[in-house]
Parts: sequence; C-alpha cells; structure tokens
Amino acid sequence: MKFQIPIGPQHPALKEPLGLKMTIEGEVIRDADIRLGYNHRGIEKVAEQKNWIQNIYLMERICGICSHSHATCYVQGAEKLMGIMPPARALYIRYMVSELERVHSHLLWLGVAGHEAGFDSFFMYVWRDREIVMDLLELISGNRVHYAINTIGGVRRDLDESQKTKILEGIKTLQKRSEYYLYIGVNEPSFVARLAGVGYLSKEQAMKLCATGPTAKASGIDRDVRKEDPYAVYDELEFDIAVADTCDVLGRTVVRIKEILQSYTMIEQMVKKLPVGDITVKAPRRPKPGEVVARYEAPRGENIHYIKSNGSDRPERLKVRAPTLANYAATIEMLKSGFIADIPLIFAAIDPCICCAERSVVLVDASSGAEKTVPMSELRRLGIERHKNSPIKRNLAWLY
Amino acid sequence: MKIGVMMPELLRALFKKPATVDYPFVRLAPPPDFRGSPFLKPELCIACLACERDCPAEAIEILSTNEAEKRFMMTIHIDRCIHCAQCVDSCPTDAMAMDMIFEIADVTRLRMKKQWEYVRATVKIKPPPAKPPASPAPA
Amino acid sequence: MAVLRTLLYLFIYPGLLFLFIYGTFCEWFDRKVYARFQNRMGPTQTGKFGILQPVADFIKLLAKEDVVPDAVDKSLFSALPAVGLAVVSVAALLLPVWNFDLNVPGPTSFSGDLIVLLYLLTLPTLIFFLAGWSSTNLFSTVGAARVITMLFAYEVPLFLAVLSPAILAGSWRLAEIAAFYQHRPLLLLPNLIGFFVAIIAVQAKLERTPFDIPHAETEIVGGTLTEYSGKKLALFRLMLDIELVVSSGLLAAVFLGGFPGGAILGFINFVIKTLFIILILSLLKAMTSRIRIDQVVAFSWKYLAPLALVQLLIVIILKGVLT
Repeated sequence: MKFQIPIGPQHPALKEPLGLKMTIEGEVIRDADIRLGYNHRGIEKVAEQKNWIQNIYLMERICGICSHSHATCYVQGAEKLMGIMPPARALYIRYMVSELERVHSHLLWLGVAGHEAGFDSFFMYVWRDREIVMDLLELISGNRVHYAINTIGGVRRDLDESQKTKILEGIKTLQKRSEYYLYIGVNEPSFVARLAGVGYLSKEQAMKLCATGPTAKASGIDRDVRKEDPYAVYDELEFDIAVADTCDVLGRTVVRIKEILQSYTMIEQMVKKLPVGDITVKAPRRPKPGEVVARYEAPRGENIHYIKSNGSDRPERLKVRAPTLANYAATIEMLKSGFIADIPLIFAAIDPCICCAERSVVLVDASSGAEKTVPMSELRRLGIERHKNSPIKRNLAWLY
Repeated sequence: MKIGVMMPELLRALFKKPATVDYPFVRLAPPPDFRGSPFLKPELCIACLACERDCPAEAIEILSTNEAEKRFMMTIHIDRCIHCAQCVDSCPTDAMAMDMIFEIADVTRLRMKKQWEYVRATVKIKPPPAKPPASPAPA
Repeated sequence: MAVLRTLLYLFIYPGLLFLFIYGTFCEWFDRKVYARFQNRMGPTQTGKFGILQPVADFIKLLAKEDVVPDAVDKSLFSALPAVGLAVVSVAALLLPVWNFDLNVPGPTSFSGDLIVLLYLLTLPTLIFFLAGWSSTNLFSTVGAARVITMLFAYEVPLFLAVLSPAILAGSWRLAEIAAFYQHRPLLLLPNLIGFFVAIIAVQAKLERTPFDIPHAETEIVGGTLTEYSGKKLALFRLMLDIELVVSSGLLAAVFLGGFPGGAILGFINFVIKTLFIILILSLLKAMTSRIRIDQVVAFSWKYLAPLALVQLLIVIILKGVLT
C-alpha cells in the first residue's frame, strides 16, 4: 500500500526549505520528487541593477557557507572581462582563504552528518574544532562568514607575520584532530552501520546524471576543476584529488575528510611560499562588452558563473549555476529503493546548499492549486513589465 | 568490531575545562581588524560621494545643507549596513573607518542612524606612497 | 490517622512530590554529565549549577497553549499522559528503598513484585504506541510502529537478564533479592554479563541513543509525541524522567545489591547507586549514534538474547553447584 509522505518544506532534517514528496510502501521509498523555489530571492535580477563592485557583496550573500566561492567565481569572471590580472600575492591570499573556507565547510558538513545520524558527541567535537578555522578567518578578514576579502583586481587586506604564525599553528592542531575524526568516522560501529551501503550511486549513473564534487568523487570519478583547469595558483601547488570507490555515504564522508587533509598541506605551502608585492591592481569602472564563463571548485562541486557585459558600469546578465543544482538529479536516483530512516542521510550526503540552487520553475495558484511551468522568457517579461525598466529609486523605496 | 571507539576521548573530557565561553558573563575580544559599523571623521571628508555610490546597501546618505558655506550632512543607516567596509576602501582621504562594536541589536530601526553635520574639508589627496615593484603575476 | 498517613505517602514521600523532585534531579544529572562528556557546559544559570533547569522546562510547558488537532481521538489522546504518569508512579512505589526492613514489610513489598514491576515498565511503551496511533498524523504513525517493533526486540533480553539474579537469589521479591546480595556480595560478579545486557536493554526501553528511533528528531519530526504540546507534553516528559528513576532503581536493586543501611543511610545508598547507573547510561548515550529499526531487531536477537541465555545458563549451573 503506497502513500505519499512530504519531507519539507519545513522539516528538522533540512536546513532550508525544500519540498520532497516521497511515495513510500512500508519503510521503503518507491519514488521521489523535488520542488524548488521556496527561498527564491531574485538575485540574478538584482545583480543587473548594481554596479560591478556592489555585486561582489551581493554574490557573497547567495550562501553563507560557500560565500567566498561565489564571490571569487564572480571576481574571476569580472577580471577576465576587464582584462586585468591581480598580483601574485593577492592570488595567494585569495586562494588561501578559499582553502580555509573548504576546511570550514567540510567540518560543518561532518558535524551535520553526525547530527543527522544521531551521533551528537561527534557533532559537538567537530564543531568545537571548527571554531579554530572561524577564528583564523576572522583574524584574516574581519568577519567569521562573508569574508569580503575580494575586490576586482586583488584582495583588500594583507597578511602580516603574526597572522601567518597563527595560521600555521591552527592548521597543525586541526590536522591532528581531523585524522582522529577520520579514525572515528570509519571505525565506530553504530555510525558505520548507518552510513555504509546507503545512497548507492554507481559510476555510470553519476556520470549520466552529472553529479559533481564529493558526491561524484565517492563514486570513483576523479575530476576536479583545480586539476583540470588550474586557475591562478593551483598549478604551483602539490596536492592530490581525494577519491573513494564505495559509492555510498561512507565514501562521501571519507572523501570530504581526505579533502580537508589535502587542504591543510595546500594552506601550509601557500603560507610558506607567499610572495611579496602589492595586493591589488587598479580596476576600470567599465569593462569592455563581452561574455565570460568562470569556473571554480566550491566545497560542494563545480560552481559556474556566466557574466555578460555591454560596456556600462552594470552587468547585463549574470547567471549562477551552483553545484547543488547539478546534484539534485543524482539525489532522486539515490533516494529510490532506500529506507525512510535513510532519507536525511542520503539528502545530507550531497551537502545540500539549497539557497545556492534556487530556481523558480513551477507557479502554483494559491486558491485553485493549478500548476504552471514558467519559462525564463516569461519571468523576464513579467519582471520588466512590473518595473517598466526604471532605474533604482534611491531614498524613495525605503520606509525608514 | 570495535566497541565504543570514542569512549577514551569522552572520559578524558570529563576532567577538562569545557570549551564553551560563558557569554554574556565572559566576552571574547574581537581581533584588531574587525569590521564593525562605519563612522565618519568629519575633518577629513571632502564630500566626493564615492562611499555613497559604492555602498551595496544604500546605507550612506550625503545631503548638502548649505551650498554657500559648503555644509553637508551625512547619515549612516546602521540598520541597512552590511558591514562590508567598501566605504572605507572607496574613500580617498581616510575619512571613513570601522569601529569594533558588534552588539548593536536594538528593538527599532529608527534608533540605528548616525548623523554628522560638517563643513567640507580641503584636504589634499596624497598620492599613494611608492611601493616596491610587485613580483610578476603568473601568465 | 491512617488515612492521613496514606495520603502523606501518596503525595509527599515516596509519592508524587518526591518523584517529581528526584526525577527532575536525575534529568539534570543526565544532562550535565552528557554535556561534560561532550566538552561543553550543560545548564548553568537556572539555580546553582543549573539544577532547576528541568523544573523550569516543566513549568514553561505547563504554561504553553495546548493544541488538540481536529482529527484525533480526543478522549484517548487526552487521557494517555495522565495514565502514563500514574503507571510509572505506581512502579516507583515497588522499589525496595522504602521497604528496607524485611521483618516489617510495607504493603508494596510482596512475593512476585519483581514481575509486577517489569509488567508496569512495559506499559509505557504501549502508551507511547497508543499516543502515536491516536494522533492520526503520518509521522506519529511511523513512530508508533517503530515503538512496537522495538518492544519485540529488547523485551526478551531485558526479562532474561533481570530474572537471572532473581533465580540465583531464589526469590521473586525485590527486598529479598537485595538482602540476599547484601549478605553475599561476591555473588554479584557472576551476574556481570546480565548487567551489561540489562543496561543496553534499559537504554532501549527509555528510547535513548542508540535506540531513540521512535522519536528521532531529524527523521520523523517528533515521532509519537509530534502532536502533543502544553500540559500533556509536560506530563509525558515527567513520565520519561520517572521511568528513568524506576529503571535505574530496578537495576541497582537487582545487580548492585540493593540499598542497605536503614532509612537515612539506605536513602543515600539509593541516590548514589541510581546516579551511578545513570552515569553509565549517559556514557552509552554519548558514545554511539542512532541505528535503524531493522538493525536494532537484528542486533538484539543476534547478540543480546544469546548473551542473556548464557547468563541464565551460568546462574543455573552456579545454583546447582552452591546447593
């Protein structure tokens, strides 16, 4: 006897609203359906109305955990459009913050996986050690999340010797603790019983459904933007790509912990080899017309920004393809023929950043329940008609 | 099959001091470069409007109150501010700076505005000091 | 006069007021120890060392709005918390701490009261099942099904493990079992396997990690207690606290040699031994993660029940050797 159980939009297992409709029979899932758009904020349209510098801060606020990925991907694209290259010291500082953000994001995920599985002690210990990374980031950039260290043409803050010493000390402590968590995660019997064999995604399926990031790396696909398309400093650093071949949630856990162990060696290399020089290059207010695609390896996978400029001081079109959006199709495949008890873990294993991947696809009439699929051209037309192409009304739209 | 892998760590933790900071009775100090809220040093402001133009949140308003005497009034809306410090970077004369206060929560937005009334300064914008040549950027 | 004494026993000591105070004290101890295992502080500001925190939670829940959904079976839904509290309070009256003198037995110590205590401890599980079932909510139904499935898993090992020391002592009466082990404390050692089996089975009965599947927060929202709020939820949580006291009292009476020493000293003994059992239960809670319902059933029938049978075998052989 099949019946439908809704997970979300409000559910303790989800950090952000998302509609999952499962068709279950007993305790086994037969089918799943995902609904997006509960948190749609219209960021791509707002980006067309702010100038190039203001957009850095807007891009940061797409997500809290991977804020630096979006800002850096955007700045990479904008710098290519303007034809400028930041100095080497700026690149080292920028990508050191990237690797620190990868560490913080994976430690966050590890704690959340422990909490979803019911292993609260693990969750508390991992988040206690994540405070070390947050304090380091606050030291470098002035804030624990939304680091705002990028500007077009370089970075905004410099590193001095005391900060470098503190970074190296913090990384050494974290390395020992991370190896301990790898040992616990793989050896605690009740935890492994929850993770092993759950959410199976074979290598062919992962390639067919375009999975990316640790979700694909746990199925044996060793693709990483940092190795294939090395931008900036990644071709000067030595590191490996972490892969596993168990194709399940335990593999994804192991891949993420190995990735942060690699990040520690990368951060150490970057601090020791930090070149001297400027931290920024003067950027023009208006780039030349053109379009660019920027790629970046976010903690969750490959992040793609497409930017089109028409020569003014605002972008003409900015499109964000966050990695979680690519992993949704793989999630549906993983959910089929799993147990109800595994839903939070399977969903959490792709490290969902639902706010990054908001798309408004289906409009539902509140009174009649009728659904209508809306194409992009229609949304654009409705938006333009509503505001009649008007410029920003400064100081008039505010009520206070 | 190992049983109780985490037990030694848990038992050791019984005798260690807890890692929790007992806020609000104990407060940790923010680091030196912390980005709090912006404030103006009126004697340095030349009213170029660069901060107003570059603020992502439209939190800075500069109005001219008296054209002849070159009087301006700046209002910073702390409730709209996103604490990004772009105003500090855009300002050519060091007139904007960030403070270190982070406990700025209030019950109403109307109390979170700061205002300065001043006469435009005639500070000369210093050229940036000569820096050592930068190492060549990768191709 | 006798009526006044009975009312005193029922409402003050060892009745409802004492159980309320001691139950909330045990919950505080459990939360504080669990927090210290995880290197954090636990409750700190309500009362000295946060000792009044569970009382504050209880009072807060009493003051909240009590929402009863339209589709539930109203009489069953509303009666269950009070019935549950009554059941565990009666079970608490059977503990041998207030019947410390075998020559002057109270009305709650009689031959066979161990079996009655075990029966009264099974009823809360049924009450949780009925609570989930009468809520007619999708999540509650799944939670109710899980509660009953777990009953099939842990009940047999628990009974076998608790009955083994009783067989060695040759009596079904808790006060006599406690007195037997007070005279010959060395005979507590052969019961060690049974002690571990009973600790794990009691953890499953109390629905704590690794067996807190019925009210797994991240999966089925609240499980059986999803639709309860306000006063009813307050009574359910008090019932869980008193169930903790009763279970640890049972284990202390049967496996740790009871509470010798008369009225005052025996009471102090009771507090120390039950807190020791709660310490072990908290360590088990902090050390493991939640496992799935089919894994619980497989684990208990593959490991726990055979171990309990081994314990029974040891006890029978020992009894034959001793007599």
